[in-house]
Amino acid sequence: MTAGLIWALCCLIVMIMLYFALGGLSEGFAKLPFMKLNPNTNGGELAQQVVMDNCTLMIRKPVFDGLLRERNKGFVQIEWKGDLPGKINDTIDYNMDSSPDFVIGIIVPENQVNLVALNPKVRDVGISTSTSYGWAARINIDK
Amino acid sequence: MDEAIKNLTMRKSFGKSMLYTLPMFLLTFILMTGGRPDFSDRSGTIALLTTFLGLNILYFLMHYTGKTDKLRAILFIVFALTLSFTLIKNTIDIRQTMTYSQGDILECNMPFCHLVIPMLILPAAFTQSIIYPGSILGGFASISAMVVLWLAASVILGRGFCSWGCFYGGWDDGFSRFRKKPAIRKISDSWKWMPFAVLLMVALTSALALTPTYCDWMCPFKAVTEFEEVTGIESAAKAGIFISLFGGFVVVLPVLTKKRTQCSYLCPLGAINTLSNKVSPFIVKIDKQICNDCYKCVQACPMFALTNDDVKKGSVSIFCTKCGKCIDACPKQAIHYGIVGVPANRMVKFSRNIFLFVSFLFIAIFASGSIITVVKSFVNLFI
Ligand code: SF4
Ligand code: SF4
Repeated sequence: MTAGLIWALCCLIVMIMLYFALGGLSEGFAKLPFMKLNPNTNGGELAQQVVMDNCTLMIRKPVFDGLLRERNKGFVQIEWKGDLPGKINDTIDYNMDSSPDFVIGIIVPENQVNLVALNPKVRDVGISTSTSYGWAARINIDK
Repeated sequence: MDEAIKNLTMRKSFGKSMLYTLPMFLLTFILMTGGRPDFSDRSGTIALLTTFLGLNILYFLMHYTGKTDKLRAILFIVFALTLSFTLIKNTIDIRQTMTYSQGDILECNMPFCHLVIPMLILPAAFTQSIIYPGSILGGFASISAMVVLWLAASVILGRGFCSWGCFYGGWDDGFSRFRKKPAIRKISDSWKWMPFAVLLMVALTSALALTPTYCDWMCPFKAVTEFEEVTGIESAAKAGIFISLFGGFVVVLPVLTKKRTQCSYLCPLGAINTLSNKVSPFIVKIDKQICNDCYKCVQACPMFALTNDDVKKGSVSIFCTKCGKCIDACPKQAIHYGIVGVPANRMVKFSRNIFLFVSFLFIAIFASGSIITVVKSFVNLFI
């Protein structure tokens, strides 16, 4: 009985403190090791950056992350940030082996994408979409 | 009224009720104003004061009338409605539409809600990362702040979160009150285990796909918050599913059964919250010395948390959300809020007072932001 009462009173105190401490608690919680976005979610780490006339092309590291181990199928995310031209046509070397892997062409106003695979591991376009910063695409690839 | 019932009635005098409301009055004022009241904006001030007074009047009435459920439900339903309004308004302000695009997902700026939590657990354990495309800290409804709020509320209130904290529960709670009597009465008791099946399914599929599958495919509340832009067969199928689930489990079935069917049958977080009832110090107790087995509480319970057998045994099941409906329905005052370890019929008033304070404070502050936003929007229409 006493334990229950003590626990209830502790809960009362915690609830009174909760909203006062929420900012600090959230910051502390955000520092826990698992509180970072999964590469499947945020597109992975930035690997290359190419500054062009009006915009910057960002190529992220290929993502193959699975629950327990890497998957055989993944994607590479590329982003164009800044003022986009009406037509994008870029050659991408995502694995940085100095030979191009695919050519991606986008007619921005019509949201039309054309992918030419130069590497057999490049499969197809997963996502191609406008964003607040410009454009982003996920190209499906094999390992 | 016999003597035992008279002693147990939860009603308080006007003065005593005011006294019990005073700490809530002060705390809500400090928390809602951030300790530094700023009355320079007229519509903001009107909204703040209206919300503040409304909340405290509800809390006062809980003490003065001795009733809980109807007063709680007013706030719970208002919370659900205003939160949806605020979310939709926020989405439209940012994106000029109620839909989100794949671009919004890739940019990871989706507002986070607590229903996602069951899908985060396995990926967080195995990959040390979060699979929801939202903001970890900062911004509107960050993952970190929402998880902290839910964790604290679940430990303290147990499944009471589902009647005193969740900003979706008010939807089916509201619709379950539409009819005086249920049109469908006979429902198998075993359905109440369904949320555990949903939990297992969404936890496993989300872990395997590393994407929150319940949000993508099943959440009925997409219908009243934000949903994926329909651009093809897959997004159209998703829209069809969430609209059907909302119509069926949140509107039609609650109206016909007078039960909260979405929360009782579908919600994966509800399943986890059920388990958190084992941790919370607050429970609903039945005093078998007074109970006359009329089973009015069983009929009243909107959560399938009470059966005739439970009443015979004198204990409420772990599905209880501490809404107080059975307590208000009992003509003998045999069922009441209690504290773990304290025998039924002992410290009844103390237990109710402390539970009400804790649970009301949680929902009052959690809900106040969206209520103020909505009241302010209305006030702005007139001044
Ligand atoms: S069951 Fe789910 S939707 Fe219902 S109140 Fe609980 S957490 Fe909210
Ligand atoms: S047992 Fe009582 S308090 Fe618990 S959910 Fe049912 S009506 Fe609400």
